[in-house]
Amino acid sequence: MSDLMGERTGERTGERMQGANGTGPRPAARRSPAPAPARAFLPHRPGAGGSALARQRRRIALLSAAAVLLLAVLLALGLSAGEVHVPPLDALQALVGLGDSADVMLVQELRAPRAVAAIVAGAGLAVAGTLMQRVLRNPLASPDVIGVTGGASLGAVAILATGAPAVLTPAGALGGGMLAALLLAVLSWRGGVTVTRIVLVGLAVQQGLAAVVNLFIVRFPAELAADALQWTTGSVYGRTWTETGTGGALVLSGVVLALAGHRRLAVLDLGDESAGGLGIAPNAARLQLLLLAVLLASVAAALTGPVGFVALAVPHIVRFLAGPPTAGSLVLTALGGAVLLLASDLAVLHLLPVHGLPVGVVTATLGAPWLLVLMLRQLKPTAGSTTR
Amino acid sequence: MNETAPGAVAPAVGRAAPIRRATLLLAGVAALAVCAALSLAAGSRPVPLATVWHALAGDDAGRDGLVVTGLRVPRTVIGLVVGAALGVAGAVAQGVTRNPLASPTTLGINAGASFAVVTAIYALGLTRPVEYLWFAFGGAALATVAVLALARHAGELDPVRLALGGTVLAAVLSAWTSAVMLASHRTLDEARFWLAGSLAGRQTDILLPVLAPLLAGLVLALAITPALNALALGDETAQALGVPVARVRAAGGLAVVLLAASSVAVAGPLSFVALAAPHLVRKLLGADHRWLVPGCLVAGPLLLLGSDIAGRVVLAPTEIEVGIVTAFLGAPMLALLARKATR
Repeated sequence: MSDLMGERTGERTGERMQGANGTGPRPAARRSPAPAPARAFLPHRPGAGGSALARQRRRIALLSAAAVLLLAVLLALGLSAGEVHVPPLDALQALVGLGDSADVMLVQELRAPRAVAAIVAGAGLAVAGTLMQRVLRNPLASPDVIGVTGGASLGAVAILATGAPAVLTPAGALGGGMLAALLLAVLSWRGGVTVTRIVLVGLAVQQGLAAVVNLFIVRFPAELAADALQWTTGSVYGRTWTETGTGGALVLSGVVLALAGHRRLAVLDLGDESAGGLGIAPNAARLQLLLLAVLLASVAAALTGPVGFVALAVPHIVRFLAGPPTAGSLVLTALGGAVLLLASDLAVLHLLPVHGLPVGVVTATLGAPWLLVLMLRQLKPTAGSTTR
Repeated sequence: MNETAPGAVAPAVGRAAPIRRATLLLAGVAALAVCAALSLAAGSRPVPLATVWHALAGDDAGRDGLVVTGLRVPRTVIGLVVGAALGVAGAVAQGVTRNPLASPTTLGINAGASFAVVTAIYALGLTRPVEYLWFAFGGAALATVAVLALARHAGELDPVRLALGGTVLAAVLSAWTSAVMLASHRTLDEARFWLAGSLAGRQTDILLPVLAPLLAGLVLALAITPALNALALGDETAQALGVPVARVRAAGGLAVVLLAASSVAVAGPLSFVALAAPHLVRKLLGADHRWLVPGCLVAGPLLLLGSDIAGRVVLAPTEIEVGIVTAFLGAPMLALLARKATR
């Protein structure tokens, strides 16, 4: 009985969190049969929205093209810059095995795996983040926040602790990520799942896992502690083709699956009642999509460690640039994540004066202010209509 | 502020008689005394309570006596003070923000202190907790001011902004902390023990410099307890009751900064105690802040000393830093709270 205050306040927090949510109107509005100011960006709505939809499609196509171009430029730069300078065009040729054999060796064996790992992990994290934010209808939801990438850190650090060969570290990370997700599912299941509960329980899972990682870091010899810290901050240092190739294939299939499931995602946006009416079991759909997000995030984290803020910030940036989510913006999100992570890694390698900085430091520094600005914008009462 | 005023709080508080509450509070104090005694006796070198007593009385108790007076007494005293500060800081933070999950950690206090300390170790080559003191205090205070500034909106403290600002700032600061630690192995080796949060390896003289801010924070916290009750009813109701909401929030924020910054300066970043103590007390004594804050004064050290003892016993003869124990204990507690807070 004495806990009533806590519960009340908790409910209030829950409501606030949903109200602050950028992924949809307030729940009340969502439940009403005619979704409020029918600006419907829902792909299947005929009529008035048509031209706006076409405009948005063009915009997304344009932005995606720009992102691809940017990615190519960054890749060329990344492959060409370093102690031995290779002209960007030669570097791109060397990537496919043409040109000077020393260049080919340098580019193919050393620079390319790192750059491709950044692209793959960025895409995977960003898509995982956008899936989570939409399914959970919470702008704060992301694999970083709810403990999935924290689990990956723990898995990797535990492998380091056993002294097993470094090849096994990504496997440990993958296992850790899945384990964290399982823990999250078990702890937040209470005759069903609610969004706020998942996010809050996820914070708890994250904290518990971080404590264990911390224990390792304190107990390790200094050398190993530095390795572990590097892992837990997120870094693309020293990736090989085997890891990058496997990770790339998995992330690509994950993105394709996400695209295939986009219709369900859009229906879930309408709210549970409507989803049920449209013949989709909301809980099952939500679970599948969340599982996909967890897999994507774990694979990405297995490749690079839990690089912060990519999963959290990229969906917001894409929404800001390209409007409400569509299948096209899912692709744009993947590209955006790749651009952000690759650019950050190049900054770490060539722009910053400190050696051996993990890329997670840069993404956190870049992502955080963006995120704050975007979220504060959405918190304004009027913003509800403009962001929807 | 009489019993009649906190209308919405009153049903939750129930009609629990003051006598019952006082009894519970006294029981808490007794439990704390037992805990403190255990803290003097337990460890990698268990000391019989009788020997502890002799050592405290000033008799020559041999090497055991030296362990007790030289190591465990300071450790226990620091645990009592820091635990009390954290407990009260948590209660005030939750009251001011009306958010049951608010704590110094959420406000970015630990992250700010950690970054400042690690940077100081890197740049100035510090090596002892006493030297970290003011950097920790300053970092904590700066981070809190930043988070509070972010959370201010149209002259009010917005709980959602507070949570967002704290989370984001903490994430960035902890990334920077890792960066500094990775830039120098010496810093990493020096800082990681402090960052884990520990009561060990300090003498009571470390408390002297923070005594003034601690007491000021405590007095401030106790002074605003009636106003916090009104605040629990919502800003408008509180205003109608004649409570200067903005000023109470500012005072509460200041109290949290003073208390939490002092404790992180002394013991390093500790999570969970500030979060859990108010919840525990609310369960036993009710939501009335006039009981809650004094209750936390007892519950905080109880939790902290209990965790410290556990950290010494579980992996004996090695010790687990108390900060790791509290974070690990805090996780299921936080999960439980989250389950309860959401239907």
